[in-house]
Amino acid sequence: MKRASIPTVESSEKWEVQLRKGSLELAILAALWDGRLYGLEILRELENKSDLIVVEGTVYPLLNRLRALSLVESEWVESDSGHPRKYYRLTPAGRQRALEMTRIWARFSARMNNLLAHLNEEARPVPKGRKDTA
Amino acid sequence: MILSAEAQKAIDTYLTDLRGQLRPLSPEDANDIVEEIHAHILDKSAGVTDEGVVSATLAALGTPDELAARYRIDELLKRAQSTRSPVVSLFSLARWATLSLIGLVTFIISSVGYALGAVLVVIGLFKLIYPRNGGVWFDPKPGGHGIDGTAGFSFVGGGTWTHPGQEVFGLWLAPSCIALGAMLVFLTFSLGTWCIRRFWRPSALREV
Repeated sequence: MKRASIPTVESSEKWEVQLRKGSLELAILAALWDGRLYGLEILRELENKSDLIVVEGTVYPLLNRLRALSLVESEWVESDSGHPRKYYRLTPAGRQRALEMTRIWARFSARMNNLLAHLNEEARPVPKGRKDTA
Repeated sequence: MILSAEAQKAIDTYLTDLRGQLRPLSPEDANDIVEEIHAHILDKSAGVTDEGVVSATLAALGTPDELAARYRIDELLKRAQSTRSPVVSLFSLARWATLSLIGLVTFIISSVGYALGAVLVVIGLFKLIYPRNGGVWFDPKPGGHGIDGTAGFSFVGGGTWTHPGQEVFGLWLAPSCIALGAMLVFLTFSLGTWCIRRFWRPSALREV
């Protein structure tokens, strides 16, 4: 009889990567919600306020893509640092998109939390020094 | 900010290589990208003269080839969404095929669709040029009544040879094949464009 395969740590990690991928676009739009930011500021905003660690070489092509989709617009601005910086801001379409995605996210996460409620106790890490008697 | 000569050289080399790799893009777009990456490197290196910091910054960006490839494939697939050229579309799908399974499947289906479409158009044109030498024939066996006969498509180039069997479609074969072939090419093109719009995720999203 064929045994069902047991999910491994590796497959959980892959799933997490997919989850992060799916939320990056919303995270960038959310980072730009309050005003214009340049690339490095966006990266720092994502690092500080979310669990998303974005590889630097990937965020710029993505911003370029969001600009091509007219979700963000960019402008070069002179700075005190001695070189101009390219700032991004949300377009009206980008704000609309961010709101739509936030609604979907809120609805989805609420339902998932509801479903996962009874698993949370089991999934909670066991404090050090305490033996799991289960 | 004063960078060491070595650090400045590393930055210049990186940006020159990046500009070279971005050649498929328009000069304006390429210049914009290079300037933005340059600004990023300078911001990350602000206040330091250590060459190691610059090296780490460049490493985090990936090699010029890797970074440019993310822009190129995005640009290529973006162009494929708006192009009316099956050649551009197929070329874009070929690049996409190297990146994802859905891209590979789309490329294979599209290749078959375009090939079949092209063959049908060629058959139609051949029939127009050589009406007596090509066609779909039904060739009843001697003594039979056509039910157990053989049917097939054959072309014979040049000469005055004509197939002994009975031609099924006659000259209608030409417009039918050309119309079917064109329709198949159009449907394949539409399918490829739809798949790109539906399934393609920008390169940055694939590599988080």
